[in-house]
Amino acid sequence: MLTFLARRALMSVIPLAGVFIGVFVLARLSGDPSALYLPVTASEETRAEFSARQGFDEPVLAQLGTYLAGVFRGDLGTSLRTGEDALDMVLRAFPVTLALASVAMVLAVALAVLIGSYAALRPNSLMDRLSSLISLAAASLPDFWVALMGIWVFAITLGWLPTSGTAGVIAWVLPVATLLLRPLGVLVQFVRGAMVTAMSEPYIKLARSKGATERRVVMSHALRNAAAPALTVAGDLAVGLINGAVVIETIFGFPGVGKLMIDSIIGREFAVLQAAVLVTSVAIFALNIVIDAAYAMLDPRVRTAGKAVSA
Amino acid sequence: MPETASTQRRSSTIAPAIVSGVALSALLAGCASADTSESDGDDTLRIVLAGEPPTLEACDSTQSPVGVVSRSNITEPLTQLNPTSGELEPLLATSWEATGDTEWTFTLAEGVTFHDGSLFDAEAAAAAIDRSVNTELECHVKGFIFEDQALGLEVVDETTLAITTDTPDPLLPLRLSFLEISNASPDEKVREPVGTGPYAISDWAEGTSLSLSAFGDYWGDAPAFPEVEYQWRDEGSVRAAMVSSGEADLAFGLAASDGAEELGQSFINNETVMLRMDGQMEPFTDIRVRQAVNYAIDREAIAQGLFDGLVTPAGQLVPPGAVGYNDEIQAWSYDPELAAELVEEAAADGVAVDTPIKLIGRIENFPNVEDLAQVLQESMSQIGLNVSLEMMDAATELQYEQQPFVRDEEAIALVMPHGNTAGDASFTVVPYLTSDGVVSYFGDATLDTMIEDAALLEGDERQEAYEDILEYYNEELTGLAVLFHQRGLMAVSEFVSYSPDAQSGDEVRLSQITPAS
Repeated sequence: MLTFLARRALMSVIPLAGVFIGVFVLARLSGDPSALYLPVTASEETRAEFSARQGFDEPVLAQLGTYLAGVFRGDLGTSLRTGEDALDMVLRAFPVTLALASVAMVLAVALAVLIGSYAALRPNSLMDRLSSLISLAAASLPDFWVALMGIWVFAITLGWLPTSGTAGVIAWVLPVATLLLRPLGVLVQFVRGAMVTAMSEPYIKLARSKGATERRVVMSHALRNAAAPALTVAGDLAVGLINGAVVIETIFGFPGVGKLMIDSIIGREFAVLQAAVLVTSVAIFALNIVIDAAYAMLDPRVRTAGKAVSA
Repeated sequence: MPETASTQRRSSTIAPAIVSGVALSALLAGCASADTSESDGDDTLRIVLAGEPPTLEACDSTQSPVGVVSRSNITEPLTQLNPTSGELEPLLATSWEATGDTEWTFTLAEGVTFHDGSLFDAEAAAAAIDRSVNTELECHVKGFIFEDQALGLEVVDETTLAITTDTPDPLLPLRLSFLEISNASPDEKVREPVGTGPYAISDWAEGTSLSLSAFGDYWGDAPAFPEVEYQWRDEGSVRAAMVSSGEADLAFGLAASDGAEELGQSFINNETVMLRMDGQMEPFTDIRVRQAVNYAIDREAIAQGLFDGLVTPAGQLVPPGAVGYNDEIQAWSYDPELAAELVEEAAADGVAVDTPIKLIGRIENFPNVEDLAQVLQESMSQIGLNVSLEMMDAATELQYEQQPFVRDEEAIALVMPHGNTAGDASFTVVPYLTSDGVVSYFGDATLDTMIEDAALLEGDERQEAYEDILEYYNEELTGLAVLFHQRGLMAVSEFVSYSPDAQSGDEVRLSQITPAS
């Protein structure tokens, strides 16, 4: 298993470097930040001095070299706006996004397994049709619209929840509910499909013929076999949650890494943006490795596939 | 397939795993929110802004997101402008007088201390002014208000400060109303200044909230609210909702569509929206085309249809009530036929009226800017101009907005607001109407001279001189299509009493806010 993980980690380095260099170069093509940080009357000399101090006057490749040298020393630069260490800002924001995404994903998976399995066991029933309709809507509705409607209904009209902010667990209800809708919708459909397929497999008939209880048939056989592909989809959806987190954090005022990235792009805070991309990319690749590992645990063929090829 | 012990074990763990996952989720949420707090009750005034202030550095408080928190709250200036009467009033300076052509002498208040207990005196005032305008700290106030003019500072005695300028400057006391006094070092900017104001910073939880506490040794009257908490939300509708739901007392920067309803209060904010045309590129080189653009815009329909009457059609950049405002100049009338004729005339004389024009707006620069830009694009296209629209973020748009201008193959028309909260036309005409103004595409020598001469005048002469300047510009140059004087909109909860004024977009004096009686 360790070899498997090491191989997966090595394979992640190249795309990770690609993402990072891409963001680095694209950010620098997006324009000079001096106009944002200097007074309107700043002279040409002042602007040139500002650019030189930040290293923006060098060719992009030279800037990349300087930056990478800093990364290996643990120096990811400082914020133009606040002068704060960029990595500190990201590490402060990242746990918020991680918590938001984790809570949303765990709940989405749990609910999807329950709803998807229930629907699959009663195909074409009213509940099945209803769950299909609702999950389709959940997967399709734009999250900013759902967020604003949620605020209007639950915070303003009913007064049950706060509109936004992070004060107390109750403030997490609307953001988490909004964020989990899309993965939940997709996963319900997926789990249902996988379970319907699994339930028609010969091993289910065999299990039944052996006199296994229906609960055991579903939990031990069908769900276990449906879990592996569902896990892969869940992994992709979890990565996609970072996109959703940008919208959710902006609307609900969550100081997470999604909002930090958007603010950094608007404010041309290259150092903060790069640190945020670096930390997030590493986290996403780590998540993918964890998913691969989990997949390998569920399906031994995955574990041994590489060995067979290399042998 | 025979069941094994391991499959039995796994199957029996699925349900508890789900439950554990949900419990873990709640725990994670709890941990991540453990460092935040609930609202602090009646003693706390809760304000929600559109964005977190990037800094509270005193010498950058002329930037609205900074000043709206810090000005006259954490730090204070020597003089302050009464937003209602337009009069200059004493604050840290009790009086002032011109003591020479280029010298003003200020008498300072006694018994004033900074939040760290150090004494405010002429030395401290001189140091604060010096760091703001005479150093290389790149202070916003330096270029924005003092136009890079260096000041001579002489401490006469503990409470007397003499300030000299290179050229006579009748506006120096007014300019000083924008210079906030802190006791920071001259070598670097500070994010959390130590001032003399009624509130001191008590906690800044980056990204989440900013708390101020009333300063116990404040030299003036104690404010009604002992604590103030600022939060920020990007969405206007969320800000309005926070007041509606009782989570905040005041919400700033709202649009008519944000749903503040009966809690909304509009106020004149001295912001004027314009369309600025690059008169150095065809087709805008011809004044008939620039006039045509003015005639092509149905300001009244836009004011009602797009802004719910929150804006007033305007014909000049200087806001009503400011020194130099010209009562005679009305908004351009809507006459699309005349506009089309003017464009045709210009074309007949060889002007390339089909030159592509890039209409630029800045995303979220002011409420409804995207909609307004689309209407302007359509209006200009209707009279035969070839207009494309591009909305940009601030960093990109600023390269087109201010010197040195980025120029593309297309002629540029830029929709942008201008704020003049100082109440004097000079703060508008110098940057916008002079030949080398920082946000001016072109001018003419006659106008430059008129503007230079007007700066030295006072009283009625000053008023008339600026009226003449605005009239001349409107008739002879017409580099702008001035569109509207804006009104700001905010939400005020029923629990507090606050009347917004012309400065509320840039400065919110917390000591004027009281619990509703």
